[in-house]
Parts: sequence; C-alpha cells; structure tokens
Amino acid sequence: MGRRILFVTTDQQRYDALGCNGGAIARTPTIDGLAVDGVRYERAHPQNVVCMPSRATMLTGQHVRNHGVWMNGVPLPADAPTVAGLLNDAGYRTGLFGKAHFEPFLDPFLRFPENRMGVTGATDEDGRPHRGFERMEFAGHGSAGLFHFGGWLRANHPEHMASFFPALDATLEVSSGRGGDTDAPQVRFNNVPREAYHTDWVADRAIGWLDSLAADDDWFCWLSFPDPHHPWDPPTSEQHRVSWRDLDLPDGYLEDRSDREAAIDAKGAHWRRWYDGSLVSNYEAPASWVPATLTPDQVREVNAMAHIENELIDEALGKVLAAAAARGWADDIDVVFTTDHGEFQGDHGFLFKGPYHVDSLMRLPLVWRPAPSAGTVPSVVADPVGLVDLAPTFCQIAGLRVPDWMDGEPLPTSPAVAAAQGRQRVLTEWDSVHSGGAEVHLQTLTRDGMVCTRYEPGTCHDGTEGELWDLAEDPFQRVNLWDDPSRRPLRDDLLADLDDHLPARPDERLAVQSPV
Amino acid sequence: MPTIGQVVENRPDVRREILIDAPPEVVWEVVAAPERQAEWFPGMVGSTVEGNVRTIATAVGGFFLEEILRIDHQDRCFEYRITGPMHIDNHRGRITVLEALEGSRVVYEQEIDPKPLVSVLDGAIVDALEGLRALIEDGTASRGWTPPTDTGVA
Repeated sequence: MGRRILFVTTDQQRYDALGCNGGAIARTPTIDGLAVDGVRYERAHPQNVVCMPSRATMLTGQHVRNHGVWMNGVPLPADAPTVAGLLNDAGYRTGLFGKAHFEPFLDPFLRFPENRMGVTGATDEDGRPHRGFERMEFAGHGSAGLFHFGGWLRANHPEHMASFFPALDATLEVSSGRGGDTDAPQVRFNNVPREAYHTDWVADRAIGWLDSLAADDDWFCWLSFPDPHHPWDPPTSEQHRVSWRDLDLPDGYLEDRSDREAAIDAKGAHWRRWYDGSLVSNYEAPASWVPATLTPDQVREVNAMAHIENELIDEALGKVLAAAAARGWADDIDVVFTTDHGEFQGDHGFLFKGPYHVDSLMRLPLVWRPAPSAGTVPSVVADPVGLVDLAPTFCQIAGLRVPDWMDGEPLPTSPAVAAAQGRQRVLTEWDSVHSGGAEVHLQTLTRDGMVCTRYEPGTCHDGTEGELWDLAEDPFQRVNLWDDPSRRPLRDDLLADLDDHLPARPDERLAVQSPV
Repeated sequence: MPTIGQVVENRPDVRREILIDAPPEVVWEVVAAPERQAEWFPGMVGSTVEGNVRTIATAVGGFFLEEILRIDHQDRCFEYRITGPMHIDNHRGRITVLEALEGSRVVYEQEIDPKPLVSVLDGAIVDALEGLRALIEDGTASRGWTPPTDTGVA
C-alpha cells in the first residue's frame, strides 16, 4: 500500500484567487488549510497559457515542443505517454472527473474518444483505460458539449439545460453575449440548483468512484473543476456570497483610462490592437468583444462571479477530502492543487486570456500537501517551478523512477531542496495561427525575478519587440524594460538562457483539428 | 502507398487528396452515389437522398441538410453545399476523381464560413479520404465510430 494522490485542478484561476496567496475576496479555507500543512509555491508557471497545451503538459510532464500540442484544437497524440498510464501500470487505480480537454471539444463527427465517451456515457475506451485512466467522466463549462455532465443534466434536470450561458454562439465563435447587472461579457444569472452545477457534480462523481475502490487500493484521482473559467454563471442561489458592488477594483486594473492605455502601449503591438478591437489573435476570447469597452463595474461583477465559483470549488474539494477521510485514507493522501493557466479578470484592462505572458495568466496557485504519513515539514517555495514538474512529482510520490521522456523534475518540498535541484528558471511558450490570419509566437523565460518574453516574427511583430519585467520593482508589469539600454546585457543573458533551455522545435507541427 | 497530402496550408479553405489503387471509374461509382457517403465518411451514420436534398445523420445525434449541386460524370466531380440546420454563411464541397499513374487521385475541397469549422472539416476530410480508400481497396466500411444501439447516459 502506497500513498494515494488527489490531483485537483481548476481552469483559468488566478494566483490571488486563494486566501493563502493573499486573496481577500473568496473564502478558501480548505485549500488554505492544505497550504498551511504542506508546501505553497509562490512562482509556479504554466508552459502555455491556454487549456489544451497546458493540460497536455500536466499529463505528460513534457514541454509543449515535446508533447506537440502547440495550441488549442491540437489533440494530444493517442500514443503519447502519460503519468496516469505509468501509475496504472504500477497498480494504481486511476480516474479523472471533470474537464480533460486532451482532445478537441468541437467534434461533430465524433472523431475523438473523449467525445464518444461523453456522448454514450462510457467511462473508458471500449473497456480499456483512456490515456491511462480506468474511469473518466467529463464536464465542460456548462450544459453544452459532448460531456457526461450534459447527459446527466439532460436526464436529471432537463429544465436547466438552457440555464447555463452558452459558450459558443450560432457562428461557433466564443460568445460575446452579456448579462448580469452590468451587462458584462459572459456573465449570466443561472438558476440551476447548486447540486446540479458542474462543480458539485465533479466532486460527487469522484466521491462515487473513490467509494467503489477497495480500502487497500492505491489510487490517482484527477479532480478537474471546469471553473472559474468563463462563462461566469454560478448558481444564483450563491450570489449572496460576494456582492460586486462591495468590491474594490483589482490592483492590476488602472481605472484612469489614460494611465491604463499608457501601460498597454508600453507592451507589444498586439496588446493595443486587441484592446482597440483591431486584432483577433486567438479563439479564446469573444471575437467581437472590444476590451476598451470594459467598464469598472463589469470588472467588479466578473470578479464577484469568479470568486463565488472559487468558493464553491473549495467547498467541493472539502467534500471529497471528507469522503476520503471517511474511508480511512486521510494520512496517506497527497493533495496537489493547481490550475492550467490564469485569467486577466480586469488586469491591464482585459478579461479572458491570449498571447500575453504576464502574471495574470502565468502566475498560478500551486499547493502540495504531502501525505501526513510522509512527515514533510510545511514550507513556502519562491523558486520558479512549472506544471511540467507535476507528473514527475506524482512518480516520486508513487515511488516510481521518473522516466526519461518527462522534462520536469519533482517539485521541491522546501527552498533548500529547490537550491539543491538548481532551480533557476521556468519556461512558457505561445504559438497561435488564427483562422482569421493572425499569427503570434512568444517565448518566455522567468528567472531571477525577471520575466523576459521574445516575440518571434508573425503578423503582429517583426521579431524585434519583446517584454522585460522586473517583478520586484514592477509587480503589475507596467514598465517594459525591453528597450532600456541599461538592461540590455541582462536581456541578452536571459534570451541566451532561454535558447539554451528551450527544447528543439519538432520537425513537423501537429495539425489543428478544431478551434478549441 | 496511399498518401494524404495537405495541398494548401494555413488558408481558410480545405483541400486534401489521396491516391487510391483502383481505376477512376470504380472510385467514381462510389463518390457519385450521394447516399453512400456514410459508408466511407467516419462520423456519418446515415445519408439519405430525396431529389437534390441529402440528409446526413451524424454520430453525435445531429444532422446536416445538404443541396446536391452537381454530379458530373464526365469530369467525375461531385459538388454539394450544407444548407442547415446549423448556421452556415457559406459552404461548397467538391470531390473530384482524377486519373493517376497508378489508380486514382481523389481531391476533396471545402469552402466554409463560419471559419471555426475549417479546421474541424479539415480533420474530418482526412479521415473521410482514408475511409474511401479503405472501402474501395479493402472493402471495409468506414473505420469511424458508430453509436451503440443503447446510448443511454447513466
């Protein structure tokens, strides 16, 4: 009998969503308690800031260039090695509940196994584990889509199929619909009962699976909440938790328009062009939404909705932990909590996400509460780590050798371990080719408190632009040092370091098979 | 060996082709029968024709309505367009069977708006051409998935 692993992910959640990271709006006592008893990471970055590449990194322990999922819509190859497969081969029972997104969502011909499973209600791939998981039950961001959750909702609460905000519009673009009190993008008052909302459904399905396991089974459970990713449509019954009218504007949002736009102009050309509505660079935000139209009250309302969703996640996780404790497993469960990427949530004057390598999207919540039986001393690690390190960590927990095909290494349990590992840097990449023609390529190295982003030539950049941020002096990333002559030697050194550590590009890029 | 090549890359319209080890007239006999498309297009579970209207049933439980625009036996060219029920601003599909050095070259082209469907159709067409090759060369129907009789969701 070994240590069990509860891997908890959210989708598009900011570092400051959690109380343990300084968040002052959502109450997150469950996760905060895990942080107190475990290891909290202050500088965890994704290797890509959209779902599919980032989730592929979590599952494989590989950088984007090595697993090949370079943008949303590119399926992870069917034969990609996975940590779930390793654990399953080693005798672990393996399950994933919630959002997977290793394969594209928009799939009218059911070309991908995950969508076939979601439509039929199958929980494995024709009797075999899928990507190493014995059992999978999927949820997306609402009632639409080819997920188990939609089928369950249709069977049990058909009157609420239309209560959720539809993520896509009739033209299959990300919906620019609005709602709430402030006519905010992708906000809706959703009268679905809490128990029929996907957050609680994900927890309930995981609990059901855990209850089916034998007491002496080792298990790896990926609890994958679709929230607080847009749309922001938590159950109306929970609106009392956070009133947008009571919220201050986030520190990352400059209310004065001229100040806000000056800070945007200090960044690359694609920032200003998206802000003005003259550029649609990627599919992950409503194509017809113009960020310059975002009002302070809309920022407040989106934040309120997101924080209500954060509280529901914390409570759902608490339910799962209580259920596992009731099985007698409390001392032997490692809990790892993180997300796939961040969300602007008003920072810099934006919502959603895209090719923007700043803390709003890159600085992630990450907490590892090792199994109490392991006797790990609680700690806080400020050294840079990445989601690429998760799969190797799961191997280490299970007592397995970290395979050569993984790029990361086990997360450090203290600053001393981080120093011994020689942790200095973390890498993040972006590549996108939009159906409208825009092409953006970013490569980022974070090291020594600096974030250095190179823009490769595309339709927005000529290859000479970039960003250089000093996180200590400029935590909100408003003063771009890229062209500061005094920082040129540092910039050159960071870029050389980036080139030294980025894996080589694959010879051939995998085909995009859906916009998302 | 049959190959599927992406003739035009990174452009909104889709154009894929495949070599099939069979005479063009044999391939054309299948392509020119619009009611047979579900036999070789994975993810389609039925295709029925009434007049110039074809109804395609998809594995996901939906359907497409299509207008058959041209079945040209001389040029071995089949053209159609999706008319609904989903929102389609513009669509034109074209399948052409050409003579090749050994066998046939089949070219499948699509033009479509809204653009988010371009990549979806591109991947589906790759599968479809492979399905057509398998049907003609090996006699095997679509390698695509078809739903079980009972699709009840727990």
